[in-house]
Formats: sequence, structure tokens, C-alpha cells
Amino acid sequence: MTLAITAGILVAGAVYLLLKPEMLRIILGFVLLSHAANLIIMAAGNSSRREEPFGTFTDLTNAADPLPQAFVLTAIVIAFSITVLMLVLAVTGKNDDNTSVSPPTDADDAAPQATDDAAATTPGDDAATAPTTTQEPTS
Amino acid sequence: MLPLLRNDRGPLLLLACVLTIFLSSAAAAPLGKWLGRSAGWLLALPLLAVAAILVSQFSAESALTQTVSWMPTLGVDLALRLDGLSLLFALLVLVIGAAVMFYSAKYLGKGKQSSFYVLMTLFAAAMLLLVLADNVVVLFVAWEATTLCSFFLISRSGTHAQEPAIRTLLVTAAGGLSLLAAVVTMSVVTGTTQLSEILVSSAWSDNSTFATTVAALLAVAAFTKSAQFPFQAWLPDSMVAITPVSAYLHAAAMVKAGIYLLLRFSPALDGVMLWHVLLITSGVITALIGAIAALRRYDLKELLAYSTISQLGLLVTMIGVGTEYALTAAVVHTAAHALFKSALFLFVGVIDHDAGTRDIRELATMRLNMPVTKVAVTLAALSMAGVPPLLGFISKESMFTAFLDAPGPAWIGVSVTVLTAIAAVFTFVYSGRIVFGAFGGDGSQRTVPEASPLFWGPPAFTAAAGLVFGLVPHLLDPLASAAASSAVGSEVHTHLALWHGINAALFVSLAVLTTGAVLVAYRTRLEPLVTRLRFPFSALDVVDATRAGIIETGVRLGKLSGTTSPRLHLAIPAVVVSLIAVYGATHLHTLPPIVGETSRPLDWVLVILVAAGTIATVRAQTRISAAVVTGVVGFSMTLWFFTLGAADVALTQLLVEILTLCVMVLLLRRLPRRFSVEPVRKRIPAAVIAISAGLATTFGVWALTGRRDLSPAAQYYLQEGEQTTGGANIVNTILVDFRAFDTLGELSVLGIAGVAIAALLTSRKPVAIRSADLDEDSPLADSRQNTVFVRSITRWVGPLVVIMSVILLLRGHQEPGGGFIAALIGGAGFTLLYLAAPSDTAARIRLPYLSLIGAGVVIGTGTGLLGYLEGSFLTPIHFYIFEMHFTTALIFDVGVYLSVVGVILAALNLLGRQHRLGQQHAWTSDHDTTDKNEEVSSR
Repeated sequence: MTLAITAGILVAGAVYLLLKPEMLRIILGFVLLSHAANLIIMAAGNSSRREEPFGTFTDLTNAADPLPQAFVLTAIVIAFSITVLMLVLAVTGKNDDNTSVSPPTDADDAAPQATDDAAATTPGDDAATAPTTTQEPTS
Repeated sequence: MLPLLRNDRGPLLLLACVLTIFLSSAAAAPLGKWLGRSAGWLLALPLLAVAAILVSQFSAESALTQTVSWMPTLGVDLALRLDGLSLLFALLVLVIGAAVMFYSAKYLGKGKQSSFYVLMTLFAAAMLLLVLADNVVVLFVAWEATTLCSFFLISRSGTHAQEPAIRTLLVTAAGGLSLLAAVVTMSVVTGTTQLSEILVSSAWSDNSTFATTVAALLAVAAFTKSAQFPFQAWLPDSMVAITPVSAYLHAAAMVKAGIYLLLRFSPALDGVMLWHVLLITSGVITALIGAIAALRRYDLKELLAYSTISQLGLLVTMIGVGTEYALTAAVVHTAAHALFKSALFLFVGVIDHDAGTRDIRELATMRLNMPVTKVAVTLAALSMAGVPPLLGFISKESMFTAFLDAPGPAWIGVSVTVLTAIAAVFTFVYSGRIVFGAFGGDGSQRTVPEASPLFWGPPAFTAAAGLVFGLVPHLLDPLASAAASSAVGSEVHTHLALWHGINAALFVSLAVLTTGAVLVAYRTRLEPLVTRLRFPFSALDVVDATRAGIIETGVRLGKLSGTTSPRLHLAIPAVVVSLIAVYGATHLHTLPPIVGETSRPLDWVLVILVAAGTIATVRAQTRISAAVVTGVVGFSMTLWFFTLGAADVALTQLLVEILTLCVMVLLLRRLPRRFSVEPVRKRIPAAVIAISAGLATTFGVWALTGRRDLSPAAQYYLQEGEQTTGGANIVNTILVDFRAFDTLGELSVLGIAGVAIAALLTSRKPVAIRSADLDEDSPLADSRQNTVFVRSITRWVGPLVVIMSVILLLRGHQEPGGGFIAALIGGAGFTLLYLAAPSDTAARIRLPYLSLIGAGVVIGTGTGLLGYLEGSFLTPIHFYIFEMHFTTALIFDVGVYLSVVGVILAALNLLGRQHRLGQQHAWTSDHDTTDKNEEVSSR
């Protein structure tokens, strides 16, 4: 029951975040959702058995199911790489990570953003458009 | 010979014929490259050879059939059948095709001509397959092939040809869909795909709905292909193609495919009211509008294009009338039209080629000193006009005879005769315009000499054929009878003759000729009158408007379901999960009892921790706080996994949590600090969906888990895993021994994610780093002083982390550890190095992360291949070095290690750096001069 409740809390939080306009919140939603999914996989192995699966068992009454554990282990790592990919997507688009079609004009955000845009034209930016940028990759 | 072949006689000659043309199309590519335009001489030969073979193999008594098994499970065979109708059309395709090839050898420009010849021979092959097909699926495939060939032939004329080519494709492909629908309907209702069996099926008479539906579908398909009203627009549009293409398209291929289809299905659909109505109405309308349009044109080629539409309209009307006599007339007119139209098109090409224009108004200033061309064009034009003693006269008089005898109420026959007679008058007039327009020039500008015989030879041949068959029409009797027999469905014996005695048709013909002659004499006064006769709208505009309308409708429909905002897409599954739960709750009656005690008192602490972390994440107002409090949930998850007896999973979770946070922090500096505040009206529905999804999850997990004992697989792993693999860490042995193939797949996913991250960041500039509000006087503002503490620690901890990572990798088979965990620890070590560095540039870890990822996948796969030594992919091999036990599973784990480290390094290297990523490969070192710049801008 505790696992079921935990998964429920995580899913509720995840879905709420998924419905937000900012990409970062959506990503955090996915993080929570993968936690929930992992717990559900663990629950599928029956959480009444919690003895760590090491060595050879003669008495199986308390041994935890190793198969969901293996699945979850790889799932965590894959979720990590997908999270990083989504984070990269969040910073390679517009100047903020608002995914809605018409971003809300929040007074809080608009003011610093304007200065940020101005700050964005740093010497580094100029160099990026200079002809030298077209040089072939050397490796 | 293959056992599945059924063959009446001959060693699969028909198939060989079709194959020959297809092979010549393959040969056309090198020939067109080496010989240039002269390849046409060679490529015409197989066409003529096949024509000769078909004639020699044909027998009027029984059709030649050959079948090769193609898709036996679907009952679709590559069946070919040669009967009279097929022979007639095959000969048109092959002989006119050969004439066009000969002609092209002189007409085309110098240089490589591969694409033209490949497409033309392919076109011929597709048409041949179409007319020989005895299977509706084969017929459909060939039909579509001709559509594509014509599209490419038109579009290769240049950029101005693209729009016409696309319009042609759209119209004819739409007809193709109609044919497909007809093919499917016929196969389903009659239970066979064999064309000859479908045609004699009893379904046509028993099932009138079926017959009517198929009649409509086939008519639409044929109308699009043969440019019949309301689909006539594409044919003049396609005039942008070069002359040989137009000639072939109009005389023998493409448009004749539609006529063939109508004639082929004529016996089955005879008596279906809709069939006759559609064909006669559309045919008459097309004949009239085509002829009127042709009167208005000054461009000879365009004039001919409209004349094709008009002549095809007459053909369709004949097929629509559907009597034995009408169908015979249609067969003869098909042949007559192919002969005169190919001649006219090709000669217009000759004139265009030599005079430099094909506009009547410009030709009026030239004198064409081209006797052969003049005679041949005149012959062809007279044949088109229906003047004796040419073949066109015979076919047109047969047509009038057929129309006057049309079945049904008398007014139909009379009105059809009157209307087609008007079209015939116009035909006479525009035929006259061709001859007088081309050769009536005053020579004020220049005189054009005759072309070479090689150039005028092929079209002169087809023009002369019209005269020969007109004078000695009984030469055509066997072919016409055989073709008409197939179109009628019963034995027909035709005796073509110039003179049929004095009858009504003769008077119609005489009236047409007289009126026509008068109008030709007054053509200069007629032309301005006709020019004013404009259609209220252009058919091309209709095509374009339809196309735009379809796209518009698609966009509108798409908007209903699609949005660029992820919110809607993500809400749908959440809502559906809740609905499934509601369904489950109302339909689940008895559940098996829960096995064992699934909850422990201590678990509640974790529930509270997770709840607190989740609520804090949801409520967080700034990005940095959201990232940090999500960590609370992650660490609680670690505890959860420990509690559940999953040490390895817990370790993995812990490390991933740390690394995720590090990566997030690297990115947060590029994003605004605060989240936007959403109005309550948006928050409430989100909360409702979220809570119901959460309840659904809780209900689902409670109802569906914990209600069974240990699975057999788990029992096996727990009892025999260690013996089988020599590893005590069962989870690890599952990853690298039992289910290593899964893990290899996961490595690939990781690798692809790494490559995608690198590709994204090298191709697209990430948004700029925002300025941090730092107090310049604070010691924190100086990155070098600020990192003293971490740098000192790293000096000691760094090597330890690396050693620990290697130990964990090696011991992973026996104790907690393994490739994933070891790599994450290694990655954490690199992250520490990165964080300890005073600037982004100094921190760059110069390791080729993409190569690491690649090496990981290669090692994983290589270990898998080694497994073949022991039996199968990824079978672990055990061996001993100095009495120490090793297994290839360990090598596999090294692959895992490298891939994961590669992904972490990719993220760190690429995200930690400044926004100057497009410049060089991620692992090539920068010049030190850039360091200063970056350090300045990062502040």
C-alpha cells in the first residue's frame, strides 16, 4: 500500500508539472514520472520480499525479486540520459524555456529578460559569427 | 521451369517480352551516357522486336496467357494475357514508342541523355505491362508506374515544369486511388484478382450496387488518365514536356491507358446505366470543349494538346454508347488517332526545331520549304479531320453510324450525333489551321529548309500508315476484329471499308466536311470570334484551388488534434489513465489476495518524504529551488530502493540524482530565474487532472501488484544464477549475463542520447548565459578564490574516486557495483573535477566522449559476437588467468562503463562550455587566447 501511495503522489506531482508551460517544469515532471514508473516496476516484484538478492538462495520466502531490480537499474540510467537530452532541448530553443505558443507576459520575467538579451551580445557572440567559425573540424 | 508456372505455349514469351523492355530501360542509362541522343537508335530495336514477337505469337482463337507466382498468400500472380485488345494497344505502345525513339535520336540535344531514355523505356515497359496484365493488382501497379513515369518525364524539363508536373501527378494519382478502390472492390466481391475471371464473373449482373460502384470508380480513373472532363486540365498543362514525350503521352501511352481500361471493362459493365451516362456525357462535353479550345490556340503544340482531349472525348463517347459497332469504331479510331497524332506532334517538333517557333502567328512570316513535312502533316491532318481516303475518315464514319444506331430513346442517338458532328466540324477547322498555319507563311522573314530524312522519317511513316490503312482498310480487319471481340465480349468480324453506300452517316460526314471547309476558308474571321469564347474559369485554377483547399482542410483538421504546445499532448495520456482506472474500478470484481506483508511501518516515513519533496517541487517558484527540491524526491527514492532490498538500484539512483542536479545547474544559468505565475483558471484543471491521475496510479498499483508469489524466472535466478554465471550479484548477472542483449540495447539508447546531445549543441547555439547578480566585492565573485576548498579536496578525492570506480566495476559481478554504477561514480569524479575548476575552459575534460560511447557499444557488440564461440550471441565465456576466474561478462560491463561515462562527459563538456560550440569538434582543444574572453563573459 505504501508503494502504491508513493507512486500516486509522484504521478500527481508529475502530471501537474507536465501541464506547466516551462520546459524545465516539464522535465522535472518527467523525472518524477520515471521515479513513479520505477516504483511501480518494483511493486510488480511484490514488496513483501525485501532480502537483497545476492548469492544462492535455498529459502525463497523473503528473497526480493531480482528481475524488476535489473529493469529499474537500467531504467534509471536511461531516464538520466533522456533527462539530459531534454535539458539540452530546453536551452537550445528560444531565450527562455517557455513552451507555450504565446508566452505569458509576466512583468517579473520580462524586465530582466530584456537586459539579458542586451547582455547576450557579448564579444563571444561576435566571434561566433566571424568567418573563422566555418573552419572544418579537426580531430 | 518453376513448378508454379502455368503456361499455354512458348517459353514464357510474354514475360520475356515485358522483361526485355524493362532490361532495355536498365541498359538505357549507360547507353544514354555513352552514346548520348543516338542511344535512341538502339533502344527502338527491342521495342520493334517485341512488337514482332507479339504479332507472331498472337492467335485470334485463344488468348495467350502466362502466369508466374508473385504473392501466393494474397492470391496475386504476375499473370499476363495477350488477346486482341492487348495486342492492339501493345502495338501502339511499341511501334509509336519505337518511332519516338528514332525521332529522339535526332531531336534531342547533344550530351548525356540517360534520364530521358531510361524514363521513356520504363514508360513503354509500364504501358506494355499495363495492357498485357491479366491480374488487376498487376494492372494497378503498371497504371501507377505510368503515372510516375509521366510525372518524371514532365518534371525533367526544368523548373518551369515542376508545377505542371505536380498538377499532372495529383490528378492522375487521384485517379489511381479510384482504380485501387475499384481493384479492391472487384477482388473482394468476385473473390479473384485474375482480370479475365473478374470480367466473366456473375457478380456484375447479380449485384447491381457492385457494378454501379465499380463503373463509377473505373470511369473516374480512366477520366483522369485520359484527360476527360472534369479532369482535362492536366493534359495541356503537361505540354511543357519536350516534344517526344508529348507525342508519346498523347498518341500511345498515358492517355491511351484510360481508353484501354474503359474498353477492357466494357463487356462487364455493358448495361450499367451509370457507366453509359458518365461516359457519354463526359465524352461529349470533353470533345466539344477540347475542340473549341483548340480553335483558339496559336501554339501548334498546344493546339494539338486540346485536339487530343477532343479526340479522346469522341473515343470515350463511342465506348459509352457501347454497341458492337460503336466499340469497333472506338478500336479503329484509337489506332487512327495514334497514327495521326504521333505524326502531327513529331512534325510540330520538326518545325519547331528547324524554324525556331511553333506559333502560327510567327510562322506566318516564314516560308517552310519542307515538301515532305508538308505532305505528311497534311496527310495526318486530313486523317484527323476525317477526310477520305484516310483512316480517320473510316473511323469517324463508323462513329457516326454507331451513334445514329445508339440504343435507348431516339433523342439520345440524335443529340449525340449532332454534338459530335459539331466537334467534328471544329476538328476539321483546327486541322485546317494546322496545315495553313504551318505552311501558309509568306516568307517575308526567312525560308526554312527541309529537315534530314532521319528526322522526318519516323513521323512520315506513321502519317503514311494512316493513308495506307485508309486505302486498304481490310489490312486492319484481323486486328480490329480481335480487339473489338475483347471489348465487346463476343466474337466480332469487322470489315472495314471506305465506301459503305449511301446512308445517314455519309450525309453527316458530308455535312461535317462541307461546313468545315467553309469555316476553314473563313478561318481568319472565325478566330477572333472564338477567342472571345472563354470558359468562365480555368480548369487549372480549379486544380490549384482544390489542391490549396485540401491542404487548408488538412491544416484545419490537424489543428484540432495537434498543437505545438506540449501541454495538450501530455494531458491526454494522463486523462486516459484516469479513465482506464475508472473502467477498472467498475469492472474488476474479485482480486486475488495480497501475498505477504507489502508495507512496513518505516515505509510511511518515506511516503512522507516523497510527498514533501513532490509538493515542494510543484510549489517551487524559481528554477533553482525546483531543481534542488526535486533532489529531495530523488534521495527519498534512494532510501526506498534500499528499503526494498535493491542495493544496486539504490546506488544507481543516488549517483544519477547527484549527476542530474549537476547537469541541471550547468543549464540553469541560461534560463530565467523565476517560473511564470499561471492564473488560477489554468491551475485548477491541471490540478484536477493531476490528482485523478495520481489516484488512478495508486488504485492501479494497489489492485494489480503484490498479489502473486515469486515468478518462475525469479526463482531460477535466485536458486541457480550464481552457479550458472559464477556471479553472486544476481541483479548484475541479469544485466550482463542473462539479459545482456537488453543491456546492449540500452547501451545503444544511451549512445544515441549522447550523440543527439552533441549534435544538438554543435548545430544549435544554446541560449546565452544570464548574468548572475553577484556582489563584486564578495569573495564569491572571484572564481579562483571561490574554488579553493573544492580544488583542495579534489586533489585527494579525485584519484580515490577513480580507483573506487574501477574497483566497483571489477567486483560488480559479486557484490554491489557493476558497469552502470562504476561509470556513474567515474562520471561523478569528472563532475567534481569540473566543479573544482576556476573557469569553464580550464575545466574542460579533454576526453573523446563520442569515441568513448562508440567504444562502449563496439565492445558490447564484440563481446556478443565472441559469444558465438560458445553457441549464441552474448553467451558469456568463462576462462582463468593465473587461477583467477574471468568471464566475458566483465568485458561486456566495461562496454557499459565506457558508454555511460561517454554520455556524462558529453553532457559536462558541451553544457559547461560557453555558447561557442559550433566552431570545432567538442574534443579538439581551444587556443588559450579564448580563455580570457570566456572568463570575462561568464561573469
